[in-house]
Amino acid sequence: MKITFPYMGTTLAYKKFLDLLGHETISPPKPNQRTFDLGVKYSPEFACFPLKVITGSYLEAVEQGAEVIVTSGGHGPCRAGFYGELHRKILHSMGYDVDVIVIDSIRRDFKTVMQNIRRIKGKNSWRKLLWAARLTYRLIKALDDFEMQIQTKAAYEVSKGDCWRTWDKIQGILENIWTDRELEAAQKRCQKIIDQIPIREVPEEEKIRIGIVGEIYVVMESSVNMQIEKVLGDFGCEVRRSHYLSQWLDDNVMPKFLGKSREEEILKKGEKYIQIQIGGHAKETMGHIVDYRDQGFDGVIHLMPFGCLPELVCQSIMPKAMEELNIPVLTIALDEQTGIANNLTRIEAFIDLIKNKKRKRISRAG
Amino acid sequence: MLEKIYLGIDVGSVSTNIVAIDEENNLISKSYMRTEGQPIETVKQGIQALKKELDGKYEVAGVGATGSGRQLAGILVGADVVKNEITAHATATVNAVPEVRTIFEIGGQDSKIIFLKDGLITDFAMNTVCAAGTGSFLDHQAERLRIPIQDFGEYALRAERKIRIAGRCTVFAESDMISKQQFGFSKEEIINGLCEALVRNYLNNLGRGKKIEPPYVFQGGVAANVGIRAAFEKELGEKVIIPKNFDVMGSLGAALLAKEYLQSTGQKTKFRGFEVADIDFVPTSFECTGCSNLCEVIKVEIDGEIAAMWGDKCGRWTNNIR
Repeated sequence: MKITFPYMGTTLAYKKFLDLLGHETISPPKPNQRTFDLGVKYSPEFACFPLKVITGSYLEAVEQGAEVIVTSGGHGPCRAGFYGELHRKILHSMGYDVDVIVIDSIRRDFKTVMQNIRRIKGKNSWRKLLWAARLTYRLIKALDDFEMQIQTKAAYEVSKGDCWRTWDKIQGILENIWTDRELEAAQKRCQKIIDQIPIREVPEEEKIRIGIVGEIYVVMESSVNMQIEKVLGDFGCEVRRSHYLSQWLDDNVMPKFLGKSREEEILKKGEKYIQIQIGGHAKETMGHIVDYRDQGFDGVIHLMPFGCLPELVCQSIMPKAMEELNIPVLTIALDEQTGIANNLTRIEAFIDLIKNKKRKRISRAG
Repeated sequence: MLEKIYLGIDVGSVSTNIVAIDEENNLISKSYMRTEGQPIETVKQGIQALKKELDGKYEVAGVGATGSGRQLAGILVGADVVKNEITAHATATVNAVPEVRTIFEIGGQDSKIIFLKDGLITDFAMNTVCAAGTGSFLDHQAERLRIPIQDFGEYALRAERKIRIAGRCTVFAESDMISKQQFGFSKEEIINGLCEALVRNYLNNLGRGKKIEPPYVFQGGVAANVGIRAAFEKELGEKVIIPKNFDVMGSLGAALLAKEYLQSTGQKTKFRGFEVADIDFVPTSFECTGCSNLCEVIKVEIDGEIAAMWGDKCGRWTNNIR
């Protein structure tokens, strides 16, 4: 069975896991204009952009012969929880006989998750499955660690584009590991490459740190968020995201008895603004804003798919949160539009705002 | 020695404005032109006109560019500062009305709301693409009613009765307007209804639950419309200040930013001189096939030599300019 998966962030890790289990995997291309066109054409008009892009990705994978789709489930009452079903329906109505395996949070529905895991396990032993899972997890941790270093260094790179080119190179290196030993060797090599990127010295008080929060797909997939991290890096800002794959795994796959997850902490911080889970990542969005403020970040960019209800709720809380937390937040709604001039204007003005605010704070202190 | 002046160029989608200010921030010259999809030609014409007016009398000590065409204009004239419209507008407003807390800026294709405290921007919102709440909405309706846009505001002030027109979307507004026409309401009343609808929509769409505090300043091309100004004052129950140069605040801000930048750094201006009107300036674009991104790369040639390139995500072309 040829397996595929939705394209989100560093997909080489999902592919690695399936490859390690001996499956034939088909990685869809990174979403591009054709993906968007296909997705928009075959998805309901009112659906959010992530659903459409994923439809397009699936269609491209099916064209390449994919027979089974493995995806994650949604969170609470957001439409995303229904995506697996909807995608199955769309693909079936188009005449593609594909199977969709939805892996929900193991903490919610243990039985179905185990059933699905058994299907992915196939004829492999449980021992092998655990080994593959562990290696993949280590790989994801390594990827996230390197990506964060890039997100910091990109703000100060001497030659434009150096950091993100290095990131592509690192992904290429880590794509080729098959054992723990290879992973360790690759990690050393990657670290060396990162350390060699020349950077400018910038005084601590002039550094700008920005957190990106919002709906997981638009936060994690750079092809649908105007490459926001790169844009901010070019403006000289360090970036962190509210979602990383390794954190998602810690929060959703690791059994609860292994300790309190970071997600719970974040949710607790968001409680002041949204008391109950209203779906999607709304509560996390508010929690992360509080968290970024606590960490001393200078500003937050809030990304949402156009028409995303949970994030719209967040947007309407933003004026209050900004005032109480004293941290600037810029909300950007994303859809299939590719012209980014407007958003660049907003981002540039937002960074001016942050710089002026910082300058004032410094001059007051001095 | 000639007196120093600073130029500000605002290249918008509808209009291109150029101003010149002196060291004391006094306005020496201002011009307002229609861009008509030809930003380069328009800027060249503007500079040409400026040359006739100012050359030999003043020395250009700095240039700032803003507006959606700022990058192109900046390269063309050799701008010292290239700034977004939001920062530029707020800079000009703070200079004219230092205590301002909220700026309403309504232009042809977009509108903005900017919140300030102690002369610093604290928050802003920008509305684009949607025509409801911008000048083009009024333009379109004025055309439908066959009233020159300059007289639009006066008509609104003459309305005897109040009617309500849906303002959320121009499509709804138009159907509402037609039905009100058929009921026998006068043009004046309909126009007044439209002005109120625009203001309501603007405040709902951009204000979005944010605290709007006076003093209010209203600027942008639409601020010339007395009907809209009256509708704002009615809706907010407070006076709305319209600065003297309300129609060129963007370019004024760009000029002020250029002046501030050059004075603080002590650098010399990069202005190419009034001769830019005569140089051969050719922007072209091509699709880079280096990777699957297929970026549209913009290349600008001046007298046959590559002066700037941008639009590539990886920096492959941008980095190659010396």
